[in-house]
Amino acid sequence: MLGSFFSSPVIQDALLPATLISLVTASMSVMIIAHRLSFLTVGVSHASLAGLGLAVTLSLPLLPTATVIACVLAVLLAWIPKSEGLSEDTGTGLLFAGSMALGIVLLSRVSQSEVNLFGLLFGDILTISPDEYRWLLLIAAVIMILLLVFARRWWSIAFDPVTAFASGLAVAPLRILLYATVGMTVMMCVKLAGIVLTTGMLVLPAATAWFWGRSLVGLWLMSMVVGLLGTYIGLYVAYQEDWPSGATVVLMMCVLFIISWGISWLKKQQEKKQSAPAS
Amino acid sequence: MPETVLEARHVNLNLAGKPVLEDVSLAIEHGHFMGIVGPNGAGKSSLLSLMIGANVASSGEMRLFGQTLSARSRGRLLNRVGYLHQLRGHQEHLPMRVENVVAMGLRRWRLPLWQQVGCESAIAEALEQVGMLDLRRRDFRQLSGGQVQRVRLARALVHQPELLLLDEPAAALDARHQQQLYVLLRRLCDDHRMSIIMVEHDIAAISSHVDSVACLNQRIHFHAMKGEQIPQDVWYSMYGKQMHVIAHDAGCIGCSHEDAA
Repeated sequence: MLGSFFSSPVIQDALLPATLISLVTASMSVMIIAHRLSFLTVGVSHASLAGLGLAVTLSLPLLPTATVIACVLAVLLAWIPKSEGLSEDTGTGLLFAGSMALGIVLLSRVSQSEVNLFGLLFGDILTISPDEYRWLLLIAAVIMILLLVFARRWWSIAFDPVTAFASGLAVAPLRILLYATVGMTVMMCVKLAGIVLTTGMLVLPAATAWFWGRSLVGLWLMSMVVGLLGTYIGLYVAYQEDWPSGATVVLMMCVLFIISWGISWLKKQQEKKQSAPAS
Repeated sequence: MPETVLEARHVNLNLAGKPVLEDVSLAIEHGHFMGIVGPNGAGKSSLLSLMIGANVASSGEMRLFGQTLSARSRGRLLNRVGYLHQLRGHQEHLPMRVENVVAMGLRRWRLPLWQQVGCESAIAEALEQVGMLDLRRRDFRQLSGGQVQRVRLARALVHQPELLLLDEPAAALDARHQQQLYVLLRRLCDDHRMSIIMVEHDIAAISSHVDSVACLNQRIHFHAMKGEQIPQDVWYSMYGKQMHVIAHDAGCIGCSHEDAA
């Protein structure tokens, strides 16, 4: 069974990009949870519909255009709420609805053959073109380098922004850079998981690891293991059962999350039991 | 003359159109321990936030180590400063060990992830100073309020700052740890020539440890050196007529010697 999975040409083409995407999203998920940005990923992923709509309407290259627009929107979200006295939550909600609406209007004017709307919404890793693959590689490299360089500073800002600022860190520019990186990651992830399921891939790996991690690096490594495991199992089940790939991957990550949560809960109960007779 | 570590020159601060600080001038030298006292809403924390450049003075100048504090210079100047702010209902959610929290206070923590932070001995020393070395491997989220406060102080101390800015550092501590904290701060001033500015609202608790006390309520009402007496009308203008001044002993700043029992 595994043999036919790996020898299938569809999977052979999908395996490398899927590995790449899951490693990058799992890494970023640590920062997304640390900075509580999961709703931002919802907003930006849906906004990518507007980006793709614009790209199709103006006949620009799809993924690069959408990536740039996603970054710009993410950075705007870091800026606007503060200067206008709105909460970030409100700003994201507005952006989410507005750009989704714009995207639907724009895409409704192009023919079905140009844009695979179902693939956009729910992910379609199995039909990746060489051009898209090169673009993914480039974005993945940029995100991973940014993460390696800035991870500690971003972590320190998430831990205590006031103290980070008082130590002389340029907190505002660093935060804008983080938002832009989240924008890039979201666009990259839309290819595998689709607009609707992107948040799952950007939240679940770190959330699953959160029960066990005790440090930034530990959390990061565990998160990558969860991301890869979820992606491989998901792709395998999708191939065997002929399920949609993006949804299956996210579903498998949910299963891993529930298992991790369950084990952590059981462990806590046991610790309680052990400490009860002693006290 | 000893070098001035921090100097505020006629600083005014307006927030949302309302004056918070008026014409505040202060200077602190190496090894000096200054307490700032005042009622709630007196602008104590705002003054500290000016000192790290989190607020910008409406007029006047804030100088650190002989240089004007600005958006440009703050990154460099604040390398030599430790800062402890007030935690208000903050719930820690990042998984970290105590020693990693302290390591974040090191400037090497800003290096890319492929470079080691190291500095184990500096971290151990900072934890030792606050009496938390035994719990270095503990999950930071499982600590009590007082333990959290002591670890945060160790983080502020770990890069051996020349100036330490503390906003009610004793808030979560019990009486014993409060005393230990003040003794530690006194020793840092005496042995390491560290300068400390500490905001507290309880003058009685700090008066026997500090070198001077500045009474702040929007402006500096009085700046008393050790052994000097704070006139009664200063208390009245700061806290209102209904307060009673209770004197302690001769070593205590702000107390009248004759009144001491």
